[in-house]
Amino acid sequence: MAPPPKSKPCSKPFLPVSGCLKRSRSPFLLRPVNVMHRKSTGYLFVLPALLVLGLLIAYPIAYTGLLSVTDNQGNYVGLENFRTILAARATPTAFFNTLWWVAGSIIFQVILGVLTAILLNQNFRGRAIVRSVTLIPWVVPGIVAATTWAWMLHTEFGIINYMLTAPGIIDEPVGWLTNGSTVMPVMIAINVWKMFPFVAIMVLAGLQSIPNDLYEAARIDGASFWEEVWYVMLPQVRPVIIAVTLLLVIWALNHITIIYAITRGGPANRTLITPIQIFRTAFESVQFNQAAALSVMFFAVAITVVFIYIRTTAANAGASK
Amino acid sequence: MKTRSIKIGFVGAVSALALSTGMAFAGEVVWWTPNFNEARARELVAKFQETHPDITVNLQVTTTDGLPQRVLTALQSGAAPDIIDVQHGWVNGYAQNNLVIPLDDVLQDREDYVPAALDYVTLNDQLWGMPYRIESLAVIYNKGHFAEAGLDPEAPPQTWDELIAAAEALTQSGRSGFAITGGGEVGNTIFRSMPFMWMNGGGIISEDGTQVLVNSPETVAAVEFYTNFYKNGLSPSSTLENDGTANRRLFIAETVSMYQAGQFDVNSIKTENPNIDIGVMTIPHPEGKDTAAVLGGWSFVIPADAKNPDEAKILLGFLAEAENQGYLTDTFPARVSAMDMERFDDPILQVYKQMLPFGRPAPAHPNWVQISQAYFDGIQRILLGDEDVQTAMDGAAAEIEALL
Amino acid sequence: MSDTTLKLKRTGLPVPLIIIGSVVLVAVCLFPFWWMGLSSIKTLRELYTIPPIWWPSMPTLDNYYTVLFESNIPRYFLNSVVISLGSTFLAMMLAIFASYGFARFDFKGKPLLQSFVLVGQLLPTAAIIVPLFVTLRVLGLVNTYWGLILIYMIITLPLSVWMLTSYFRAIPVELEEAAIIDGASRLGVLFRITLPLSVPGLISVLVYAFVTTWNEFIFALVFATDSSVKTLPIGLAEFSTEFNTDWGAVMAASMVMTLPIAILFLSMQRLFVGGMTAGATKG
Repeated sequence: MAPPPKSKPCSKPFLPVSGCLKRSRSPFLLRPVNVMHRKSTGYLFVLPALLVLGLLIAYPIAYTGLLSVTDNQGNYVGLENFRTILAARATPTAFFNTLWWVAGSIIFQVILGVLTAILLNQNFRGRAIVRSVTLIPWVVPGIVAATTWAWMLHTEFGIINYMLTAPGIIDEPVGWLTNGSTVMPVMIAINVWKMFPFVAIMVLAGLQSIPNDLYEAARIDGASFWEEVWYVMLPQVRPVIIAVTLLLVIWALNHITIIYAITRGGPANRTLITPIQIFRTAFESVQFNQAAALSVMFFAVAITVVFIYIRTTAANAGASK
Repeated sequence: MKTRSIKIGFVGAVSALALSTGMAFAGEVVWWTPNFNEARARELVAKFQETHPDITVNLQVTTTDGLPQRVLTALQSGAAPDIIDVQHGWVNGYAQNNLVIPLDDVLQDREDYVPAALDYVTLNDQLWGMPYRIESLAVIYNKGHFAEAGLDPEAPPQTWDELIAAAEALTQSGRSGFAITGGGEVGNTIFRSMPFMWMNGGGIISEDGTQVLVNSPETVAAVEFYTNFYKNGLSPSSTLENDGTANRRLFIAETVSMYQAGQFDVNSIKTENPNIDIGVMTIPHPEGKDTAAVLGGWSFVIPADAKNPDEAKILLGFLAEAENQGYLTDTFPARVSAMDMERFDDPILQVYKQMLPFGRPAPAHPNWVQISQAYFDGIQRILLGDEDVQTAMDGAAAEIEALL
Repeated sequence: MSDTTLKLKRTGLPVPLIIIGSVVLVAVCLFPFWWMGLSSIKTLRELYTIPPIWWPSMPTLDNYYTVLFESNIPRYFLNSVVISLGSTFLAMMLAIFASYGFARFDFKGKPLLQSFVLVGQLLPTAAIIVPLFVTLRVLGLVNTYWGLILIYMIITLPLSVWMLTSYFRAIPVELEEAAIIDGASRLGVLFRITLPLSVPGLISVLVYAFVTTWNEFIFALVFATDSSVKTLPIGLAEFSTEFNTDWGAVMAASMVMTLPIAILFLSMQRLFVGGMTAGATKG
C-alpha cells in the first residue's frame, strides 16, 4: 500500500484493536481549503429546487390554512373547525393508532432492509437476479398489492389460511382481518413487505460506495464478518440509514393506500390513522374545513418532528464531515 | 425574476396545448359518465346530435374507482364539466356546499317519477339532481341448497322468523345460511341493515333529521336481528371483511346459501357458476309489517361552475324522456312509464321490480355520511364482540347527537 | 493488486447462509406477485374458489389479450413512460444541484431549508389536491404531460434531494478538496468527481423517482382526464365497473406494469456496483 498523502487523515477505520483515529477528525491542515467556499455559492446550488417546490406548495399551504379557519360559506369562524374535529370520537383513536403504525412500520422496515442490503452486498452468483426480485414488492402498484394481500389473507378464500390448515398446522382458519387484535399488526406487516426493498436498495447503494481499502484494513486487523458489519459497513452507511428512516417516518405519517384499500380504517376504527381520517373527512363527509383544520395540526406536529430530527443529525454530522 | 419568467414560459408554451385540451366552447356540453354507461351514452349522444346540431356533446368517460374524489375535486376547484353522473347519495353533499345548481325548471312530468327518487335529491324544497336510474336490493338464494335442506325452493321465507329458521336449516356441511356484510364501504351495510330498522318502525335518524332513533327499542331489535346472524354462526366467519361483492363470491363458491344483492349479481353468478339454480326473494319483513329497502341509483347534476348550463339543461331534458332514460339505465329507470319497456320484462327481474315501491331514500341530512359512519362503527363493535347491541347503539347515538 | 490482497479472501457470509437468506428473500418478495401472476392466467370461474386452486386447470391468456389488444393500456403505457421519464429527469437535474449545495456547503438557515424541502411530503394529499388543481388550471396545464410532470415534483424532489445529500456526504470530501487545490471549479468537481463516485446512489434515487411516478394514482386521476394523457394506474381502475372488477385483467395489467421496471433494474445492475471508490484514496 502506498503511504497516505500528507493532507489525508488516517485511512484505517476505528477499531478497538488498532485504536486508529476516527476519519471524522480532519486535521487542521485542511482548514485553508474550506475558506475557499463562498457562502453564497451554497445558496445558488439549492435555489432552483427550492424555487420549484416553493411555487408548487405555497398556494396549497395558504389555501389549507385559510380553509381551516373558515366555514363552507367562506365566513371566518376562528378555531371552530379545530374544536369540532378534536371533539370527534375517532380523532384520539386515530392519533394513537398512527403512533403504533409509524413505530411498528419503521422498526421492521429498517431492520429487514439493512439485513437484506448486507446480504445483497455479498458476491454470489445470481446476485443480480435476487436484487431485481427484491425490488418487486416496492414496484407493484400499491392498490394491487393491497388487494392481493387482502385476498390472500381472506378467512375463507385466502391462500394463507389454506396453507396453514391443509397440512394441519392450525385447526381453524385465522381471521387475520376480522380479529381486532390481529388486524393492525397485519397492516403493519404488509407495509413492511411493501417498503423494506426501498430501504434495502438505498442502503445497498451506500454499501457499494464503501472504499475497498476500509475492508482490507479491517481484514488485516483480523475482523470477522459481523465485526466488519458493525465497524465498517454500518458506520459508513449511517447517513443513508438516518436519511431513509426519516423518509419512512414521513411516508408512514402520510400513508393512505394500503389501509384504505383493505379495511378503510376499520373494523371499528382499529386501523384508522390520522391521514386516513383527513382523507375521509374531506372526501367522504365533504367537510373540507374540518379536514383542513386536522391537516394543519398534523402538519405542525410532523414538521416539528422533522426539524428536530434534522437539527440533531446536523449537529452530529457536523463533527464528522 | 426567475419566477415570472417561468410562469410566462409555461403559459406561453402551453397556450397552444390549452386550446386543444377539451376546454368547453360555447355550444359545447361536456358530460362525464362512468365507464359502464359508455356504450349506451354514445348512442344517445348521436341521437341527440341529430335533433340538436347546434350543440356539441363532449362525452368523457370516468372510472368508478375514485369517482367521488375526482368529482368533488372538480366541483370544489371550479373546473367542472357541464353534466356529471353521480350517485343519489352524493347530491346532498354537493347541494349543501352550493356546488351544483337547482334543476326544478328542467323536470317534466313530476308525477311520472318514483317519488322516493325525487325525494332523495331534494333539499330545502329544491331539486338538485335529476334521477335517471333507481334500484334496490333483494335476497338471492340457492334453490339447490334449499332442496337439500328440506325447504321448498319455490316458497322462500317471508318473515324474519322464517328467515332465521331457513338460515339455521341451511347452515350445514360448511355452508352459511344467510350472509350479512360487516366490512367494505359503509354503504354496503347501510343498504342491508337500515331497511330492517325501517320495517320495524325505527331508523338511524328521524325523517326530518332532528331526532336520533338509532338506540330506540325498535331499531335495537332490528340491529340485533341483523347482527345475530353472525353471532349465531349463520353468517360466514369472514363477515367483518366482507362487502356485497365478497358475499357474492362466497355464494358463487357455494358456501353461502342466501344473501342480499342487487340485480347485477345475477349475471355474474350465471357466468361464474352456471350450476347454481338462482332464486330471488323480497326482503323478509317482521310479522304483520311491510318490507322496505333503501333506494339506490344515479342522478345527473349540473355543477355551479359549468360553462354552458343552458345547453346542458337541454341535453338533460332529452335524457329525461322516458324512452331515453329507459335505454340508458343499467337497472331500472326513475320514471314509472319507462318501466314498461321490454328489457325490464325479464322474469328474474320481477322481484326487484316488486321491491321498488318499497324503496325509500336515505335521510337527507348534511352530515349523513358521518352519521352513517358512526352507526357502522357501532355495528363493527358489535360484530367484533367489543360491545353488546344496546351499548354500541347508545355510543353511536351519542356521536350522532353531536352531528345533528 | 499486490500479493497480500490476493491472500486475504474477502470474508463474507458463509455460503449456506447466503443461500438460505436468498431463498427466503425471494420467496417473501415474490409470493404475492406469483399469486398475482397465477391469477392472471385463471378464468373468472377459478379465481374465487374454496379451497383456493394453485394451478388453473384451464390456464388462459385471454386476460393478456384483453389487456394488450382490447384496452387502453398500451396508450397509457406510453403516457406513463413519458411522464415518469420527464419527472425523473427534471427531478434529478434539480436535486443534484440542491443536494450538492446541502452536502458541501454550510450556510445560514441550512437546517431550516432542508426541512422546507421535506415540507411537500408532509402535506396530506387530501389537503393539497384541490389547490393544486386550481394551480394547474390557472397555468392551463390540466390534461397535459407537463402538468403532471410539474405536480410530481412535489413527491419526487424532496426525497431525491434528501437521499442524494446523504450519498454525496458519504463521498470523502478530501477527494474534492484535492481537486480544488489543483484548480478545478466547484461545478467541475461536481461533475467529474462527485457524480461518478455516487453512481449507485444516483441510480437508486432515479429508480425511486421513476417508480413513484409510475404508480401514482390520485393526482393522475384528477389531473388527467383525457386518454391522451392518462397513466397506467388509471388504466387499472378502468377494469372496475360498478359491481364488478375484471380481476384477471387487473392482474394481467399489473404484470405489464411491474415487470418492465424489474427488468430495467436488472439491466442496470452493472452500474449498480461499487468498487469505483476502490483505490481512490491510494496515492
